[in-house]
Amino acid sequence: MTVLVSIRDLTVTYRRDGSDVAALKNITLNVQAGERLAIIGESGSGKSTLALAIAGLLPQSARAEGSIEWFSLSSLGAKAPPSVLPEGGLVGRRGRKSASKPNHTLLGGRDIGFVFQDPSASLDPVMTVGKQIAEVVRTHLGLGWPASHVRAKTLLERVHLPDPDSTIHAFPHQLSGGQKQRVAIAAAIAAGPKLLIADEATSALDTIVQAEIIALIRRLVAEDGMALLFISHDIALAAELAERIAVFRHAELIEIGGTGQIVNAPTQAYTRALLDAHIGLDAEPLLNRSG
Amino acid sequence: MRRLRRFLRTPEAVAGTILLTVLFAMALSASLLFPGDPQAIAGPALLPPFQDWSLPLGTDRLGRDVLAELFHGARTSLAVGLAAAAAALVIGAVVGTLAGFAGGLVDEVLMRITDAFQTVPGFLLALAFVSVVGPSLGVVVVAIALGTWTGPARIARAEVLSIRERDYVAGARVIGMRPLEIAFREVLPNALPPVLAMSSVIVAAAILTEAALSFLGLGDPNRVTWGGMIAEGRAVLRTAPFLSIVPGIALVLTVLGVYLAGEGIVETTAVRRGLS
Amino acid sequence: MNLLTVSNLIKRYSRGGKTLAAVDDVSFHVEPGETLALAGPSGSGKSTIARLVLRLIEPDGGRIEFEGDNFLALRGAALRARRARLQMVFQDPLAAFNPRATVARVLDDPLRIHGVASRFERPRRIAALLERVGLAADLAPRAIHEISGGQRQRVAIARAIATKPSLIVLDEAVSALDVSVRGQILNLLLDLQREERIAYLFISHDLGVVRAVAHRVILFDAGRIAENGDARTVIGAPQSAVGQALVAAAPRLHTTTQDAS
Repeated sequence: MTVLVSIRDLTVTYRRDGSDVAALKNITLNVQAGERLAIIGESGSGKSTLALAIAGLLPQSARAEGSIEWFSLSSLGAKAPPSVLPEGGLVGRRGRKSASKPNHTLLGGRDIGFVFQDPSASLDPVMTVGKQIAEVVRTHLGLGWPASHVRAKTLLERVHLPDPDSTIHAFPHQLSGGQKQRVAIAAAIAAGPKLLIADEATSALDTIVQAEIIALIRRLVAEDGMALLFISHDIALAAELAERIAVFRHAELIEIGGTGQIVNAPTQAYTRALLDAHIGLDAEPLLNRSG
Repeated sequence: MRRLRRFLRTPEAVAGTILLTVLFAMALSASLLFPGDPQAIAGPALLPPFQDWSLPLGTDRLGRDVLAELFHGARTSLAVGLAAAAAALVIGAVVGTLAGFAGGLVDEVLMRITDAFQTVPGFLLALAFVSVVGPSLGVVVVAIALGTWTGPARIARAEVLSIRERDYVAGARVIGMRPLEIAFREVLPNALPPVLAMSSVIVAAAILTEAALSFLGLGDPNRVTWGGMIAEGRAVLRTAPFLSIVPGIALVLTVLGVYLAGEGIVETTAVRRGLS
Repeated sequence: MNLLTVSNLIKRYSRGGKTLAAVDDVSFHVEPGETLALAGPSGSGKSTIARLVLRLIEPDGGRIEFEGDNFLALRGAALRARRARLQMVFQDPLAAFNPRATVARVLDDPLRIHGVASRFERPRRIAALLERVGLAADLAPRAIHEISGGQRQRVAIARAIATKPSLIVLDEAVSALDVSVRGQILNLLLDLQREERIAYLFISHDLGVVRAVAHRVILFDAGRIAENGDARTVIGAPQSAVGQALVAAAPRLHTTTQDAS
C-alpha cells in the first residue's frame, strides 16, 4: 500500500492558564492512500486535535512539534513505481525541519476534505448551498461560475439529496440536519481531495440518518479512491466503517490495528473497556427485571 | 491579575488608563490642592496662563483661578458622567430584561415606550427636563440618563431573547423558580457583557451632554463645570481664547481617555472569550 | 393507579404558512417506579412530548394527569410547587446549568425554592446529595464549568432528586457522555429507581440503551405512536417500519467489514 500521510513524533500542546497542556504526545501514524482509518477516543483523547493537525487547522495558540509529511498520489492507480517522493511537508513552528523543503503547499479543500460535527456551523447561513459548493469548485479547480454550478449539481446528486435542481437554490436553514451534512460532504469532496476527514460527522444525527451518512461516506470514498480518516467516540460505528482502528486515550495512541483484531482481540485493557461499554442491541440488560 | 496584564498590553488601554488616572487624580485632589471655593476671586481678571506661577493657567473675567476651576470641574464631569451612565445602564438592563423575558404584552408596551424615548433626540429630552425641573446635579444626572437608557435596553432585550431559550432557563423553570428570579438571577447576569461593552460610549456621551447642558447655562449653578467654563470664556473668545480652550482640551482628553480604556477592556475580554 | 396519564395530546407548529403536528394525538401512561422509553428518529416528536409533560410548552389539545390531578390546570404557585415531584435531566449537562453557577448553588436552588431544608441545614443536604450520586462532598464550591462531563451529569441528577420527585424526564440524558461514563450514569439511575421508586420517562434515539434500561418503549414516527410494548419484545422484533429502520441502523460490533483487504 502507498503511504499518503506520514505522521512522525507529533506532539501538540496548548497553553492554557499559564501551563502547557498536551493534546497529543509523540504520535507516529501512517495513513495509507485509499484506506478507511478510524480514530477512536473519548473527550480529551486528542482525536480531534489530530484531525486539525493533519488538516493544518490547529489554532494559533497550539504548538506543534514533529512532522506530518504528505506523499504524492500521482502513482495511485497508475503504474508508477512505489518509490514515492515527498511532495510537501508541514512542520511545527518549533519542531525539527522535515526532510524536504515543501515545494507544494497543502491546501485545505483541495487536498483534504473536512466534515465537521455540526453542519450548521460549517455552512454559510446566507449563501445558497449550490453557491457554497460551486465556490469550492471554482477556487480549487479554477472553473468558471457556470461550470462550477453544473459541477455543484452533480455533487448534490452524488450525495443523494432529493431534487438537486431545487436544493441547489436552498439555504442551509431550509434543510434538515442530515441534508445539511450531505451538503457539507458534497462541499468537502468537491475539489476531489485525497483525504476526507470526518470529525464526529454523524454524532449530532439520529441513528437512521447516521446509518445513511455512513453508507454515503463509504460509497464516496470507494468511488473516488479517497482515504478516510473517521474520527469518532463510537467504537461500534467505527468498526462498521473502517478497515483499521487507532485508539487514543489521554493524548496518546495506545493501540492501532485492523478492525477485526481491535474488535475481537484487543491488546489493551482500555480498548477492551471501550468495547465492553458499548450497549448494543444484543447487550445484557442493565435493568433487573425481577426487581 | 493576568487579565490586568493583558489589558495593559494594548496601547490604547495604556493611553486611556493614563488619561483617566490623571483625571481621577485631579478630581480627588481638587479640595486638597485648591481648598475653598473655586469660584472665589483669586487675582486680577483675565490674567493669561504662564504669567504668574501662583495662578499657572491664569484667571477668568472675574479673576477666578482657572486651574482650580479645572480641577473642581473634573469632579463634576466625572460624577455626572459616571452616575448618568450607571443609571442608564441599570434602567436599560432592567427594562430590556423584563421585555425580553416576559414577551407578549409586557414586551410590546416596554418596547413602545423605548421607541418613544428613542425618537426624541436625547439632548432635547435632557434640555426639556432640566428647564422644567430646574438645574441641580441630580436633575442633570436623571436628564442625561433619560436620553441614553434606550440603547442598553435594546441590547439587553436582544441578548435575553436568545438566552431565554437556553436549557438552563428551562431547568430553572423545572425546579420551580419564580419568573422574576429567573429573569434577574439566571438571565440578566449572562446578558450583561454586551451591555457593559457599551458603557464607555455611554459615559463619554454623558460627559459631553453634561458639558453641553452647562454650556447652555442649565448645569448646577453652584458647581464649576467645564461646559460652564467654556460658556464663560465665549464672551472674551477673541481677547482671551485660553478661557475656552483650556476646559475644551480637558473635555476632549477625558472623552478620549474613556473611549480608549473602554476599547482596551472590550479587546481584553474578546481575547479571553476567543481562548475559551 | 397511573403516575402519569397522557391522553390525546396534540401540539402543532406553523412553519411557512403550513401547520404541522409535532405531536399528533398521543396517549400513554407511566406507572410508579417504571421506565418508559420514548424512542424515534429526530423530528418524531419525542422531545416535544417531554417538554409538554414538563409544562415548558403548552399543548394545543389533550390532557395530562399527574399524580391524580389535572396537571394542565395548574397555574402559578401551584404549578411551581408541583414541579418538585416532576423533574428533568437534560442532554447536555453544560447547557443545563447557568454558566456562572457553582455546584453548591445549583443544588441549593431546589432545596430553597421548595423549602426542603432551612438555610443552615442546606450545606449538609447538598453534601448528602452529592454523595448520593457518587460525588465527593468537597465538589460543592467548584464552578460547573470546571468539573468533567460525567460529574456534571451526576450533579444534574442530584438536582433532579433533591425534591424527592416521583417522575424524572431524562431527555437524551446519556447521549452526550463518553461511553465509559455512560454505563456508570445508567447504573446510578437504575439504583435510584430501585431505592426511591422513581419513574423515568426515558427519551432516546439509541435503541441499545433503551433496551438495556427501559421496561416499556413507545416508538414514534412523525408525531404519532408507531408501536409500543415491552422494550425487549419491541426492539427484538419491531413490527412498524420506523422500528425496523431504527433496529437496522443501530451500529453493531463483531461485524467485521467484508471488503477489508
